[in-house]
Amino acid sequence: MHDVLIIGSGLGGLECGALLAQRGLRVLVLEGSNQPGGCMQSFRRGGLHYDTGLHYVGGLAPGQAMHKAFAQLGLMDLPWQRMDEDFDHVIIGGRHFAFHQGYEAFVEGLAKDFPHQREALQSFVQRLQNITAEDMDVCAYDYLCQTFSDELLLNVVSAAAMKTELRRESLPLFNFAHTCSSYIESSWRLRGDGNLLVNKLIDTIKQAGGEVQTNSRVVRLTEDDGRITKAICADGTTYEAGYFISDIHPAVLCQLLEECPSVRKAFRRRMTSGENTCGMFTAQLCIKPDALRYFGHNVFVYDKPNVWTMTEENDPVKGVMISARVPEDGSEALRQIDLLTPMPWHECQPWTETKVGHRGEDYKDFCRRKAEQCITLAEQYIPDLRSMIETCYTSTPLTYRDYLGSPEGGAFGMRKDCRASMLSFHSVNTPLPNLLLTGQSVILPGIEGVTMTAFETCNKIIQDNAR
Amino acid sequence: MTREEIIAEINAELAEEFEIDEAAITPDAPIYQTLELDSLSLVDLIGIVQTKYGVLISKTELPNIKTFAQLYDYIEQHQK
Ligand SMILES: Cc1cc2nc3c(=O)[nH]c(=O)nc-3n(C[C@H](O)[C@H](O)[C@H](O)COP(=O)(O)OP(=O)(O)OC[C@H]3O[C@@H](n4cnc5c(N)ncnc54)[C@H](O)[C@@H]3O)c2cc1C
Repeated sequence: MHDVLIIGSGLGGLECGALLAQRGLRVLVLEGSNQPGGCMQSFRRGGLHYDTGLHYVGGLAPGQAMHKAFAQLGLMDLPWQRMDEDFDHVIIGGRHFAFHQGYEAFVEGLAKDFPHQREALQSFVQRLQNITAEDMDVCAYDYLCQTFSDELLLNVVSAAAMKTELRRESLPLFNFAHTCSSYIESSWRLRGDGNLLVNKLIDTIKQAGGEVQTNSRVVRLTEDDGRITKAICADGTTYEAGYFISDIHPAVLCQLLEECPSVRKAFRRRMTSGENTCGMFTAQLCIKPDALRYFGHNVFVYDKPNVWTMTEENDPVKGVMISARVPEDGSEALRQIDLLTPMPWHECQPWTETKVGHRGEDYKDFCRRKAEQCITLAEQYIPDLRSMIETCYTSTPLTYRDYLGSPEGGAFGMRKDCRASMLSFHSVNTPLPNLLLTGQSVILPGIEGVTMTAFETCNKIIQDNAR
Repeated sequence: MTREEIIAEINAELAEEFEIDEAAITPDAPIYQTLELDSLSLVDLIGIVQTKYGVLISKTELPNIKTFAQLYDYIEQHQK
């Protein structure tokens, strides 16, 4: 019998595991696939590690948003490398802009290009530093339109938020601000792959007597007298625990709860009818040795100032994020670059019935064509990139769906909607008092959002235990 | 939609979704007790009204809806 059983070993699941194990609780994490980490996992090809959902993290300097949380989780011991002072570059319609670390430097940097909008920029960073839960009801796009009269600048400040889903009608200011602010405070990359982070959390869990088990897909939860008592895995193994935490997509969780009388249809419906965020297409490039110097910033390249609408017409690709990987051997030249662009689910339609490795030639052609388009855009920043490429690995939302079980391969979990914040932002509570939610679908996605939520989930259990 | 149509439809829907006996739903019955709502399932109620009628009950007006009759009024006044 465990004190806490966690379903899914994504970042949120492992963070909860580490926090609760540190508190002396007996923790068991069950992961359905053969590798732990969810979006944080990396894979090895041709002697190099490639990451999936880890490019950069914000706010890790002492006193900043993420430092305390990561220190508590033991993650500050990892080899974080601060990015360039100008951490994000933006190219729109051939014009080049840069975001600088520190709110003042951020304003000064952009005010050089937009001197007439200096006050607007100041008010923008003020707002970023004073975000409250009430901003879940505020439309990010409307706020930006009211703040910036220069449309190009509105596009520039939004450009790096490609790492969330930019939707004019629904994206809450709360989410938009969280994808900007911690990175402006300070931006960091990991020297090494995401498995460093995953393994560190697993070590913490194990050292405190907990366990993390892969190949353990939970298929059913059983209820007895208003509490979850058991988790049953695909191979029939049953585990008992006092508390259960779900780090999986809430709609998938509802399938596991089908036989639980305390979960009424109304809750199931809310969790299963919520929309999913857009997925991502990724082209991971292995660059020939000594062909390209490492650069410690990201670059967001857009064809035109249509940052907020490009997914409505993203064929051919209209915008791409370029992220370089820190050379692990300390050399000046890099070996790996990721190119990312949003990819709506409807583009996956021809292959939704297929599985990894068996999607057919037309899928491979589609991926090749999309990768080519990403490379063409990236060449606005790295001329002749094409000639430097040794190999290119691609992934689509289908890849994420099939590896992680995320419906529609949504990169950021369930969509949040400022017009219905009460319905789209979720509580960590469920109708069952000993079943809690965590992970990117609950409140905020990304490393910061998932970490904040993990603390909230664990606090419920810690407070409960203290009673 | 007329008020009678709204009442018939929403009563059936709420009975189904909250798994209670439809006969318990009367205009003056207290919503919270009848549907066994807590702060979490209250959000489910708001969700049902939103998907069914496109009517979003605002946080500020929520405390004023205590009986089913008040819920019917709200939907009737706000439906598009
Ligand atoms: C392409 C891409 C790039 C990104 N880049 C960044 C970035 O640079 N910075 C940043 O902050 N964020 C980034 N993110 C977002 C970030 O990676 C995610 O928000 C975060 O990792 C999600 O964590 P999670 O805890 O919600 O779990 P997930 O990663 O969704 O993991 C859930 C786990 O549960 C397992 N599971 C599912 N069903 C079951 C079951 N029935 N039984 C047992 N286990 C099950 C899955 O196999 C998976 O391992 C990126 C995301 C993507 C897709």
